[in-house]
Amino acid sequence: MTNVLETKRSKKLDKGPFGSVGHALNELDDRLGTAKGGRTFLDKIFPDHWSFMLGEIALYSFVILLVTGIFLALYYIPSTAIVTYKGEYLPLYGQKVTEAFASTVDLSFAVRGGLLMRQMHHWACDIFVGAIVVHMARVFFTGAFRKPRELNWTIGTTLLTLAIVNGFLGYSLPDDLVSGTGIRIAYSIILSVPLVGSYIGFWVFGGNFPGAMIIPRFFVLHEFIVPLLILGLVGAHLALLVRQKHTQFPGPGKTEENVVGTPMFPVFIAKTTGFLLIVAGVTAMLGAFAQINPIWQFGQYHAANISYAVQPDWYMGFLDGALRIWPSWSFHSFGHTIAFNVLVPTLILPGIVFGIAYAWPAVERKLTGDNAIHHLLDRPSDRAVRTSSGVTLLSYLMMLFIASSTDVIANFFHVSLDAVLWAMRILVVVVPIIAFPLTYKICKEMQNFKGAGKRKTTNVVTRTSEGEYVSTASPRYVDDIPTHLAPIPVPKFIEEVQAPVSPAISSGTRVADRCHPCSTTCACVTVEPKIPVNLP
Amino acid sequence: MIRSLIKRSVLLSILGVASAGPLVLFAQSADAVKQPYQTERANSGTPNSDVVKKDANGVITSYGNSSIMYNAPSASLNNLGRALYMQNCASCHGAQANGVPEGGSAGAYPALVGLGPATINFWISSGRMPAANPREVQAMRAKPRLSDSQSVAIAAWVNSLAPSYPYIPTPNLATASVSNGAQLFALNCAACHTIEGMGDALASNTYAPSLHNIPAYQVAEAIRIGPGNMPRFTGNLTDAQANDIVKFVTTYISHPQNPGGLGLGGLGPVAEGFIGLALGSGVLALFGFWVGEREE
Amino acid sequence: MSSGIENHTPVSLRGLSSDDPHLQPAARNPERVEKVIVVNFVFGIIFGFLFIAAYIQNWPPFILGGAMAGCLLLLGIGLVSWGKYLMPRGPFVEDRHEFRNSDEDRTAFAAAIVQRGGGLVKRRKLLTGLFAGGMGVFSLGAVFPLLRSLGPLPKGTLFHTDWRKDSYAVDITGRRVLVGDLAVGAIVTVFPEGQQVTENGQAVDQTVLIRVSNQDFTTMKGRETWGPQGILAYSKLCTHLGCPVGLYEQQLQLLVCPCHQSMFDVNNGAVPQFGPAPRPLPQLPIYIDASGNIRAQSDYREPVGPGFWERA
Repeated sequence: MTNVLETKRSKKLDKGPFGSVGHALNELDDRLGTAKGGRTFLDKIFPDHWSFMLGEIALYSFVILLVTGIFLALYYIPSTAIVTYKGEYLPLYGQKVTEAFASTVDLSFAVRGGLLMRQMHHWACDIFVGAIVVHMARVFFTGAFRKPRELNWTIGTTLLTLAIVNGFLGYSLPDDLVSGTGIRIAYSIILSVPLVGSYIGFWVFGGNFPGAMIIPRFFVLHEFIVPLLILGLVGAHLALLVRQKHTQFPGPGKTEENVVGTPMFPVFIAKTTGFLLIVAGVTAMLGAFAQINPIWQFGQYHAANISYAVQPDWYMGFLDGALRIWPSWSFHSFGHTIAFNVLVPTLILPGIVFGIAYAWPAVERKLTGDNAIHHLLDRPSDRAVRTSSGVTLLSYLMMLFIASSTDVIANFFHVSLDAVLWAMRILVVVVPIIAFPLTYKICKEMQNFKGAGKRKTTNVVTRTSEGEYVSTASPRYVDDIPTHLAPIPVPKFIEEVQAPVSPAISSGTRVADRCHPCSTTCACVTVEPKIPVNLP
Repeated sequence: MIRSLIKRSVLLSILGVASAGPLVLFAQSADAVKQPYQTERANSGTPNSDVVKKDANGVITSYGNSSIMYNAPSASLNNLGRALYMQNCASCHGAQANGVPEGGSAGAYPALVGLGPATINFWISSGRMPAANPREVQAMRAKPRLSDSQSVAIAAWVNSLAPSYPYIPTPNLATASVSNGAQLFALNCAACHTIEGMGDALASNTYAPSLHNIPAYQVAEAIRIGPGNMPRFTGNLTDAQANDIVKFVTTYISHPQNPGGLGLGGLGPVAEGFIGLALGSGVLALFGFWVGEREE
Repeated sequence: MSSGIENHTPVSLRGLSSDDPHLQPAARNPERVEKVIVVNFVFGIIFGFLFIAAYIQNWPPFILGGAMAGCLLLLGIGLVSWGKYLMPRGPFVEDRHEFRNSDEDRTAFAAAIVQRGGGLVKRRKLLTGLFAGGMGVFSLGAVFPLLRSLGPLPKGTLFHTDWRKDSYAVDITGRRVLVGDLAVGAIVTVFPEGQQVTENGQAVDQTVLIRVSNQDFTTMKGRETWGPQGILAYSKLCTHLGCPVGLYEQQLQLLVCPCHQSMFDVNNGAVPQFGPAPRPLPQLPIYIDASGNIRAQSDYREPVGPGFWERA
């Protein structure tokens, strides 16, 4: 029965001290039981070292890819039906092109904001894969893949593969000269697989190259299947991260049993949302000012046309580079051909590289015999073998990437193309071999050098009356003094907590023992004991 | 195996260069008027064209059609041309423009007789000749050392030794179709010069040059004569088709439409990859450095 | 200024007094920082309006995108600054909990699976075997629509092109190529007549005609009739990965593939000189008929393009 004198104000007061928002949250809790989990979630602590931002770059690039991708999907037509281009780009006017190509050119010229969205989508992809690689390197070199996070490492490596694949599928959709060449190469790689190559090739392409099916099929894969897989895996990746909590670098107050950082709400949410906007902003900057993939200049793909300087997008460069420098090994007997010059650079070697990536946590566990749980990260220089191995593999891949640009390098530096090719053949072997011992030595040196990477302190040089110069470490600022105390333990319940255990504190007196023994100034605080509750 | 491969490629490139020489000389000696650019197709750069103009002596002064007109350099320039030739060219190409065998390998400094005025005009007006470095495998485009009129004069005199074709072309871009030119460019030219006309490195220290900012007549000359390692397009491209390509190259290749922003040098994914990683991931990593904390 | 020691001690979020230094802004002068953030947000809003205006007015993409970028960046920087400098500085700490459950739970879980499940399999071997077999058969069958329906069987498709005896060589416009069209040092891409318009035809049949001399030219033994009047016909499909080998250097007499720089020696039957291509480009036997048309003697004598398992 409602109160006759019910006013707005009294209704408001009825809602409790937190007003309508609190009321709504209570209603939610009635139905879903969200209060406890919600509070725990909001209180979650995130270590906020800058190197942990790299994964966020990848995540937010993916968000941008999704948003811009939805826009593009509303205009792109995944069909190889022939139409006559009648748009505003004159060199294409009157040409017979596929609908896929025509719709992409129209998207670039006729749709307002279309070119911006296309370019942002493409730049976001380049950044996405780059950020995954850098993030993966950070995880590798700091040992964050160790127990209990091996599953997350596996998910991450799979995400890298899917990102690269989706990028290839995506830039092949416009059916232009440059990406069509890439599809032709992909078809030939499939053909080269022993026993089943021609069958798989004909099934994937719906017949011989080029066929009419490959663009629509790429579309389905690129729009639907692979993004779903990526979304699912990213969700799992983040869920594991939340459940297992983030790793952290060792430091004052940080142990294997805690996480030190900023709380989810409001600090982390503010910073991460701001970072999302920054990632979007930088991508928009690139999309606005730097032209990428100008397919109208490339023209429609025709199987008999080819351009020079047709490198794939950068993340496929390790495949293209390997293909260029590989010797022409081909097994050709008993009525069969096995094209090792294709299989090794594109299937076997990348298989080995990714296999090493997948297997690494297990390999390291086996070789170091370390089966313990690790939440604290290593400094890369502290683990010389791991760091050197990682650098070796990365330098090998980097050589392959550079090998993908042999003709551009030869043209830019005006040297002979043959010389560049030979140089890359040699470098791809020599550089990784040199990289390992070099990195190892650097790591060892850094380990032995005390204070490497730490902030330096100033020295005060004084001259005594006898003329002797004495240098002493200058007194630090009070704020710089690192603490030696363990953090206050965190109770798990919503109720107010009892004050910490130290007797000096519980009696409400000055906490003299919390001062640095050598400091002349003592910073002291008075802690009032809170209302005690019964802790179970 | 590797060494023998290098040996083979070096040997074959020498053989290739060396064999081109005798081939040219051979063409000359077999028939002084039968130029290397022979084609029987009409309207393809030879006097077998819609329009043919002769002078009082019956010598063809120009020929062509509505797409490209080819004009002979005026005979009055012969003396000037001879003087310029002796100053600038004779030391390598011989006083009779017959070429000078250098170090025993014939054709090192090729003969120029019977190659047509367009050939001479192309090499000089694009600055490749007089060669800055005669030992270089391929003379690169440079600031021309002789003016256009001087170039035509030299062409006039060399042509007077053994009159030949093609004459110096003047493309009529008004009648050309840029769309047809784009398609022909993609099929015939992009393989060496890249689809954006930026040029690239070819085998054994040869290069396909950039096609930016080349005068229309030079593009037409290059198509017809096939300078150096470039193949020549004679009967397989009519004047109309060549004109289309010339218009496309002088408009959309020289001044590409870049509505998306900076063209990044027209290098395609190589430049894009650099920018994406450095300016994209790199700048964002720097932002991340600011957003996050450093260790104590 | 409050002491620095406690500032660096991570504390729990719970039970902090409201004047705890951990809850204070991280900046030394929050008012100034707030002013800077206000400027950021204000300019972000201005850029936002510029973005809307650029869209309505259909300004070029760089203005549209630049305005969007400015808006996003400024708002983002402002928000990050807010979180970094004005919000509670912390550091805060939270305990981790061990993931592992008690030994009893673990034993019970393992027992449930191994004993109940294993027992099931052991007791009902026939049933589980049959069921597994049934699922296996179905899975095998399910593969067929997923894979086999995708496309036809290759059969002999990869072994032939559309070139036949007496096919005319036509260029991309459909014009028949005459021997008189080609000067020495010329190259033209040709197809069998009728195939220049189909993508499938173009993909497989593409051939380059190169004129290397005015006299009949023999590239290798057995091919004496294949180079009439110095015109050679090679498959344009690179034997490495199928890119069109359109890059012809007439003095070096090399056909270079632009994709991965395989170099083929034109005078010697397009034998690869350098690069990853394993086999020479197949040469098409051609002849010149009475009217000067260039025509094929037959199809290629070997499969064109890159290698595959069945290619002998």
